[in-house]
Amino acid sequence: MTTSDLTLPQVDPAPKPKGDRGSRRPRMIGAGRQLHAGPITYVVLAVFSLISLAPLLWTAIAASRDNTRLAQTPPPLWFGANLFKNMQAAWDEVGLGTAMLNSTLVAGTITISTVLFSTLAGFAFAKLRFKFSSALLLLTIGTMMIPPQLAVVPLYLWMADLGWSNQLQTVILPTLVTAFGTFFMRQYLVQALPTELIEAARMDGANSLRVVWHVVFPAARPAMAVLGLLTFVFAWNDFLWPIIALNQQNPTVQVALNGLGTGYVPDQAVIMAGALLGTLPLLIAFLLFGKQIVGGIMNGAIKG
Amino acid sequence: MRTSTRGSRRMMTLAVVATLTTGLLAGCADDSGDSTPNNGGGNGGGGGGKTALTIGTFGVFGYKQAGLYDEYMKLHPDVSITENVTTKTDVYWPKTITRLQAGSGVDDIQAIEIGNVAEAVQTQADKFVDLGKEVDKSQWLDWKNAQATTKDGKQIGLGTDIGPMAICYRKDLFKEAGLETDRTKLAAEWKGDWSKFVDVGKNYMKKAPSGTKFVDSASSVYNAALGGASERYYDKDGNPIWDKSKGVKAAWNSAMEVATSDMSAKLKQFEKPWDQALANAKFATVACPAWMIGYIQEKSGEAGKGNWDVAAAPTAANWGGAFIGVPTAGKHQKEAIALAKWLTAPEQQAKVFAKQASFPSAPAAYATLKPQAATVEYFSNAPIAEIYAASAKTIPVQYFGVKDQPIGTAIADVGILQVEQKGKTPEQGWDAAKNEIKDVLGQ
Amino acid sequence: MKASPYAFITPFFLVFGAFGLVPLLYTGWYSLHSVQLSSLDKQTWVGLENYKNLWSSDFFWNALKNTFTIGLISTVPQLLLALGIAHLLNYKLRGSTLWRVVMLTPYATSVAAATLVFTLLYSWDGGMINWLLHFVGVDPINWRESDWGGQFAVSSIVIWRWTGYNALIYLAAMQAIPADLYESTALDGANRWQQFRHVTIPMLRPTILFTVVVSTIGATQLFGEPLLFGGSKGGSEHQYQTLGLYMYDQGWIIGNLGKASAIAWSMFLILLIVAAVNMLVNRRLRKSQ
Repeated sequence: MTTSDLTLPQVDPAPKPKGDRGSRRPRMIGAGRQLHAGPITYVVLAVFSLISLAPLLWTAIAASRDNTRLAQTPPPLWFGANLFKNMQAAWDEVGLGTAMLNSTLVAGTITISTVLFSTLAGFAFAKLRFKFSSALLLLTIGTMMIPPQLAVVPLYLWMADLGWSNQLQTVILPTLVTAFGTFFMRQYLVQALPTELIEAARMDGANSLRVVWHVVFPAARPAMAVLGLLTFVFAWNDFLWPIIALNQQNPTVQVALNGLGTGYVPDQAVIMAGALLGTLPLLIAFLLFGKQIVGGIMNGAIKG
Repeated sequence: MRTSTRGSRRMMTLAVVATLTTGLLAGCADDSGDSTPNNGGGNGGGGGGKTALTIGTFGVFGYKQAGLYDEYMKLHPDVSITENVTTKTDVYWPKTITRLQAGSGVDDIQAIEIGNVAEAVQTQADKFVDLGKEVDKSQWLDWKNAQATTKDGKQIGLGTDIGPMAICYRKDLFKEAGLETDRTKLAAEWKGDWSKFVDVGKNYMKKAPSGTKFVDSASSVYNAALGGASERYYDKDGNPIWDKSKGVKAAWNSAMEVATSDMSAKLKQFEKPWDQALANAKFATVACPAWMIGYIQEKSGEAGKGNWDVAAAPTAANWGGAFIGVPTAGKHQKEAIALAKWLTAPEQQAKVFAKQASFPSAPAAYATLKPQAATVEYFSNAPIAEIYAASAKTIPVQYFGVKDQPIGTAIADVGILQVEQKGKTPEQGWDAAKNEIKDVLGQ
Repeated sequence: MKASPYAFITPFFLVFGAFGLVPLLYTGWYSLHSVQLSSLDKQTWVGLENYKNLWSSDFFWNALKNTFTIGLISTVPQLLLALGIAHLLNYKLRGSTLWRVVMLTPYATSVAAATLVFTLLYSWDGGMINWLLHFVGVDPINWRESDWGGQFAVSSIVIWRWTGYNALIYLAAMQAIPADLYESTALDGANRWQQFRHVTIPMLRPTILFTVVVSTIGATQLFGEPLLFGGSKGGSEHQYQTLGLYMYDQGWIIGNLGKASAIAWSMFLILLIVAAVNMLVNRRLRKSQ
């Protein structure tokens, strides 16, 4: 990292590319420039997709078999007949219904709050001048450098003092904001949000909230979607703290799934079926967020 | 275009506000549903004047599968039971001791694995009810009680199952290798010393069916041998003696003989390749505590049926087992004690054995033990209950220490593995284990 | 208007200070004490003893070395690949949402499932990778115990898990590059590769810096992947025990919270040193220009 990249605020750290940049015409972001992909692009993406998907696919295959078959070689490479039976067993064994609702609530709240507050703070760090801004940003990044795994012990003691053992707010509150999100939005907005736009809006008499609403949010949209996506997956799959903080009676999905496979002969097929069930809602979330990561959204907004 | 983005943005705002509000409301609602801060979450799903008991375990007990909770609730209609399972033991125990020390969030009954019981006795005794006063201690094996009892005589947990050891072996492979296949004759051949067991292995390897080994791993032999030693890593007073312990030395030597010869399949137990080796008959023997036979049966599958047999181990040894204790922070101590007593009574222990072969720690149950017919048939009609009972009765008293588990890991996963898989000499392996243990003990 | 920057950062710092910072400071407090996970009340002040202990521990230096090598062989290819994939994803694609989503599935796949698959891939006897290698005449490799093989395998899991994640981060930043930049360079006769080098890369600089910083931090804290691959020792000779894993082993498995906390804060100090050195070098470079 270079000093200049972290010394704030900065008007435009990107070296000016060649060409005419001074035109006053509003910048069209994204739209119209995307080149069509050639066949090679599709082939390369297909290969990476296959590598990415294989373990999830194998989870589904394993979930459709039975425990004894999973020990045999070669490992099954195609679906068996037990998928729904195993899913049913997993669902019943640990009460995945409650867990899904809890996880939706937890991950949803965390995602919305992280995206919202990170965008605001990231914008302030990227584009506004204020005292101690560099120091505060460095503090934010600095705290990411201390691994959080041990902090769960004092955190639990504290939550217990508040009388919150086993309650959902114990897993929601500590992750409502992240240093990661703030740093991410800051780095994105430094480049993506032209300072002229903010100034123009202010000259039109817009107050801060209006600037945020009409200029910052539209410009930040693709990054907000990606941050939302990453945060949702993180919150949904977060394991160590929820499992310390919650129990099976009021679980998130990961806590509930940890209750699968009891007895001295854990049923791998049911465990895999549970893992699959626990991942499905994420795929739905992907499609919801994924659509937001598209260029050209801000054409209308920026003119205003 | 413009209006539509506006519209969707308004929708987004609404969604934000709605979710944040529901989130906070739900938090508050949970608060009111769990109003006493220190009840330890013990009232989940209760209501109707019922006492809602929770039992926190790491998942292996099989009480639910054996129908014990349902049975108890039928006997006591005013009680409801829920099990809070955390299947990963390396998470369950840190979680439990954190909660015990916070005095909040503990279950009415908490399971304690044998590897952690010494730590619980020495550091958490004041957090548990003295159950020794509540029961007739003579019901359990003496060494089992002793493990959960503090120096001043407080017993923090009641014994659940134990893990008496036998040798599970493949008759078909033994026959092919030209060895004895009769379980009593084999037992006599290696009786008294694990090094004799290793000698049988050497004979096996002379004519081993191709692609097969004698044992699954050197560390499983170490583990089994140590499980029968009266001296382990700590002495009676809790001082570490691992570097001069006779038991450790003997077990180490047997493991070294295995590691430096070609008789080990070099597999890690309970991992997928080990499962596959069970399914494909890649090794001929494994030291099997009672609770493992169900696993072998399931993973070996149809192909192994009637080919497996069980013989007495060289020495009576124990691997595994657990206790259940009643934390003082629990809200329903009286009811919890009653449930803990009932769950660990000989009759109930026998029922769990019938379901999943967890071996009782209460000898009164031994006369009536009935393993599942399918299991007996799978293991060539071996008298499973008798073999394990005989072992259980003669297991020596063993003292565990605070860092017993990490020390065991250091020897198995560092020392033995280096010799078995990296070609180090036994001396180098021991030195490596020694450094590791010093790190564990902070020496 | 003047107060608004603080209004924007206040919510973040309030929540963060309460639930993020305080527990971290606790970790620092523990690091100056001798304290066991099982006896949190018995804290004995030992000053810098835990740190001195680490300074003279071979395991610590070994973990530091592993963290560096694994960090290098996992982060560099991962970020380069991510950049390439993001570039491809930025083309006009049929089913573009679907492609993006698929790239993120490794991040969403359950750890248990990934563990199983990678154990099968890298198993010594009958593993898929050794099976493929035998066609080119390579003897079976004991991945979990081999010195470089373990590091390679762990890195491959890291790359698999995090490449798509970084690709999406890059993609978001690419969406914000003004179209006229491409248009004007196209008028200057630049081809796709030149556009990528002279427009995309410079415009992505802040985001690239972000991913480099976050991945570097992530690399020091790496513990999940080596843990699932070969246990908390990271191989019998600690071949792939990273600082993060060493900390996990000390804190959670051995229960030595004081020492584990000292490892955590050492990681912080090491990163600070790295950042400081980087800054000095940059300053020197700029002066000499």
